[in-house]
Amino acid sequence: MGMPPVEHLHLKHVLQTVCALEAVVVRCFGPEGGQVLFTRDTGQVMLSRSGTRILTALQLEHPLARMVVECVWKHSTNTGDGSKTFIILLASLLRMIHSMACKDPNVSHTYNSREAAEAATARHLAGKLLAFASEELDDLIAVRVVPHGCCLSWEDFTAKTQSPAHTNTSNVKKLVESFIHTRLGRIHCDLIADLICELLTDWKFKNDPPSLSLQFVNDNFPALHTPVSGFPISCSRLIEGQVLHRDFTTPSHQTDHQPVKAVVFTGYLQPQLLNAGDVLEMMEDDTRKERSIVQFSAWAERSLECVFANLQNLGVSVLLSAVKQSDAVLTLAKQAEICVVECVSEDELSLFAHLSGATPVSDCWMIQPEHVATLTFCRPILLGAHRYVHVAFHDSEEGAVVRPCSIVICGPGEGQTDQYACAFQDAIRMLLRTWEPIHMTATTVSARTFLSHKISSEVMDNQNDKITSASYNASLFQKCMLEPGCVIHDGGTFEFLLHHALLQHGHNRSVSDHTDESVPAISQLLANALLSVPQQIYSHSPRRFLQIQTRVLTSIQNHFHPFILDAGLESVSCKYQLVLAVLQCVTNLFRVDTMLHTNTRSHTRSRRFTKNISLEGKEDETED
Amino acid sequence: MSRVVKKAPSLCTDLPLDNTDICNKLQILEQLLRSCFGPTGRLKQVHNNIGGHVVTTSSSSVLLPAISSPQPFINLIITSIRNHVSRFSDCGLFAAILCLALIEQAKQTGVSGNVAIRLNKHFLGLCTSYLHQEDCGCKVKLDFCSSHNLITLAHSVISSKPASVPTEPEALHISKLAVQAFLLTVPCNSPGIVSLGRIVTVSVEGQCVLDSAVFPGLLVELPDVFGTFKVENLSSNPLRMVLFTVSLAGDLSELGNGTIEVHCGADTDSQILDQLLEIGKQVVKDEVKLFMCQKVIHPVLQQFLRSHGITVIERLGITLMEPLTQLTGAQPVATLHTTIPLKAYGNVRGLSFRQFGSKTMLHLLPPGESVICTMVLCHRNETMLSELKVVCQKTEHVLRLTLREPSALLGGGCTETHLAAYIKHKSMNDIIETASVLGCSQTEYLLSMKAFCRSLESVATALEHDGGNSLIGLTYAHHWTLPADAIQEHMEDSLVRCGCGLVESSPNMKWSYLNTKYPEFSPAPLSRDTAVLPRVLDSFTAKLNALQVAVETANIALDIRYIIQDMN
Repeated sequence: MGMPPVEHLHLKHVLQTVCALEAVVVRCFGPEGGQVLFTRDTGQVMLSRSGTRILTALQLEHPLARMVVECVWKHSTNTGDGSKTFIILLASLLRMIHSMACKDPNVSHTYNSREAAEAATARHLAGKLLAFASEELDDLIAVRVVPHGCCLSWEDFTAKTQSPAHTNTSNVKKLVESFIHTRLGRIHCDLIADLICELLTDWKFKNDPPSLSLQFVNDNFPALHTPVSGFPISCSRLIEGQVLHRDFTTPSHQTDHQPVKAVVFTGYLQPQLLNAGDVLEMMEDDTRKERSIVQFSAWAERSLECVFANLQNLGVSVLLSAVKQSDAVLTLAKQAEICVVECVSEDELSLFAHLSGATPVSDCWMIQPEHVATLTFCRPILLGAHRYVHVAFHDSEEGAVVRPCSIVICGPGEGQTDQYACAFQDAIRMLLRTWEPIHMTATTVSARTFLSHKISSEVMDNQNDKITSASYNASLFQKCMLEPGCVIHDGGTFEFLLHHALLQHGHNRSVSDHTDESVPAISQLLANALLSVPQQIYSHSPRRFLQIQTRVLTSIQNHFHPFILDAGLESVSCKYQLVLAVLQCVTNLFRVDTMLHTNTRSHTRSRRFTKNISLEGKEDETED
Repeated sequence: MSRVVKKAPSLCTDLPLDNTDICNKLQILEQLLRSCFGPTGRLKQVHNNIGGHVVTTSSSSVLLPAISSPQPFINLIITSIRNHVSRFSDCGLFAAILCLALIEQAKQTGVSGNVAIRLNKHFLGLCTSYLHQEDCGCKVKLDFCSSHNLITLAHSVISSKPASVPTEPEALHISKLAVQAFLLTVPCNSPGIVSLGRIVTVSVEGQCVLDSAVFPGLLVELPDVFGTFKVENLSSNPLRMVLFTVSLAGDLSELGNGTIEVHCGADTDSQILDQLLEIGKQVVKDEVKLFMCQKVIHPVLQQFLRSHGITVIERLGITLMEPLTQLTGAQPVATLHTTIPLKAYGNVRGLSFRQFGSKTMLHLLPPGESVICTMVLCHRNETMLSELKVVCQKTEHVLRLTLREPSALLGGGCTETHLAAYIKHKSMNDIIETASVLGCSQTEYLLSMKAFCRSLESVATALEHDGGNSLIGLTYAHHWTLPADAIQEHMEDSLVRCGCGLVESSPNMKWSYLNTKYPEFSPAPLSRDTAVLPRVLDSFTAKLNALQVAVETANIALDIRYIIQDMN
């Protein structure tokens, strides 16, 4: 074997790849963006505005592009948001670095080609950027961006339900609305945001931090939602209790008596007489009738009858089973007037067990009262083309706090319903990230407070305002870290603010005598790259871009943060994580300098074919 | 073994609505579907490339699955409509034509995608809220005291699928049967939650359509009739029957995965057969007269039962189990070793043979009032029969929908023209404030409104296939058709009745051609004259949903900016 073909990666290749991705993503970015239709290899048609979905659907071949897609995927599974912004910011950063590296005269002479020198500069810049961002970005955001936003309180949810005619719609709803707007378009965002807020209100654990109940909804989302296709999305709604996505196997008895008692089975009720490996011997049976095969299966049926007698004693009228039961079980259940629901998925059963407080039965000989769940009702529900089982839970200790409910997501087709469901879950994930406390070790905390001291003093220098400085300082101490639930206006406000903050920061650093003189350049680079996001948002009207920029700048100068009622919101913590993730991706991209194309058999089909034949021939021989 | 094949990169299309190939395909699809629409619609023959059945149809539920395009954009639209059809059974072509017209019109107006979507949504809202109003001019309340409107509704569904029933008397006969069968499935006196019964359809080929009939109870097909069947018709006291779901052929299926070693001399077969005969003896003792099994019955057991005068029917199949239990009240038995409890037995009032062409069927009469009925559909050949079956199922579904919402919409294109006139009138009144609320200019608003109305009207014009002209009456905004051979000067003589049949021509009436410009006016409500009954009615629920699906699908199509096709 010779050396595999080598391809040196140049800066411009990286740039080209990412720009190609950007070209796709901008079609569905921002308020004027549309949908992307794509087909899967199974022929299924999907519609999406979700950046991750689109990028993975491209089935890219270029290793660099795949690396970028992987980074985006990792970021968005973490935050549920920002995949399109990721690509746009990445492309803009790469362009900046490229142009900077190309015109940089201080190229060291140790490199033998211009390309290598450029790549080295770029690598160097990327490293600097990442170092700068991971050290100082969070403080910059905390001091200069967060004061322009506001902190969401978890009580926003309850406020909404207490007074439906609340004129000032809750900030949580606005946050969700803006998210849905970027994901599904403007038409439905009001409706869906309402649904999500209602869902979260119902699922609120009173005494726990918000992130816990968000985590719970996020984890159980597959069991909590029912996609229904063939209906307009406006038919989506919340329903009380849980929907088991199966129909009754035996017809349900519509009885009015409450409560309904149910038992969950994970295994077969009818005992498996002969397990694999067991041997049943059939003897001459005239004398020993009790060992005949008929007796054997008769015993099995009788044991079943005992189980059902036990169930009837416990007053059970619903059986939920994880597996398919035998015909005999169904007949006996019917005779005992017990309805059976078979093949319920594991997720749903575990949620059911959690909500009802009953443990599933594994050994059907040992059914105790603690296995019996008490329900207010258990009835069929018709959702779209399917009939499911709808259960509602009695108020237990936990039930007094949460109102269990499920969500029905309607859409005209399967692809759309899927997309809506994805957007729902990502919205919940985004809220979760917004509220999640950012974990920091003790040393970094102290280091950060020190840093933010420095920055806050800079701020005060700029302000030259001694009257307010005391109070400002106090508030700075409180706000030096990213608080959970921090949000800011959308439409590029974050980018404008951070842009301004970075420029100021760079300026201050260059004035004060710090050792690292590259900081101004680095922060300027990042600042300019950030501007590309609002530029893309207002690509249809550059005038609007300038208007918004002016508005943000005036608000910085006046230290007055007008809270515009109709504007949407976005999460600061998600944005912060986005910037960090992009910078990490940039560094990763520049670390690679060469691609080795190795040859495996799958690349050339004809050769692989002949090899397979010879292999099979060998196998045949060995088997013989 | 390496099964790794390199994935091919995806095929991308930017801005699909500007793509000529996709636009052409959309146009072809629209022409195809328009030509099928309505009672005079042209039929389509569908046949595959490997010589399967040739299907003659004009109904969307058969046609749409047959059309599959390599272009996902087209498929998306078709899937949306198919989903609607599978839920509501009716108005599929209406939805498809309206959707395609909306896409085309929106493209022609040149209003930017997002604005057009928002406005379409707004107009849809106007339509739905108007249709829900009590004084809506194109809605008819259904009265269950008289079957006339129900038959009209059924007839409209059936006659809009001309492939199934070619002649008018036949269509009327089938409509009456459909309504009769539907009424049989509605329980009369059961308070509380009402559960509807079932219509079991049996199809017989080679007979005349007028031979089709509806029977209360169940008709079970007998594959081969032995002389051993001795059927008594004891109408006085009902016959006891038993129903098995488990196989009685002598196999033990629930034993598990282990191995069984049979020693010499052990005779398991006879043991099992003995057990089966035990069941037989119990059944005889309990005076059962009808023994039915979903699966196979051992011939020895069959012989034993017949010798005791019991009628035995085996291999019923899973589909008949549910109606059988509903009809007879029996609980299906699946245990072999336990004695059959008395409550597991069911009853039938009597048995009789019915002969339909080549088929002999056993008619199980219900013991009391029953919600199970059987519809025997006859037709001359297989293609028409299968289309007739589809049509009858749809009719049943449409009739059922009326139970939830007892109203119907005027058919014959009148609802469409009426809605278009209403929207024009309504939106002209408050154009200034609405445009500012929706964040668009007045021009955009006007353009989109015209596009929306033109799309609605174009559905009404699609009903005409013989070169006639479509007109709108300028008082009630109903839809009129001027035959192609009519003389322009004596237009009034050729126009007798509007599309739905509610408005009759009168001397001072004015009309305008649908594709021309006419002054906006407020469509006048009809005087509720009970003497004049509408001749064509559409399902309210189905049409309302079709309208929503059409607009939403069009909106989605307008929103698509990029297509990525996985080529693997």
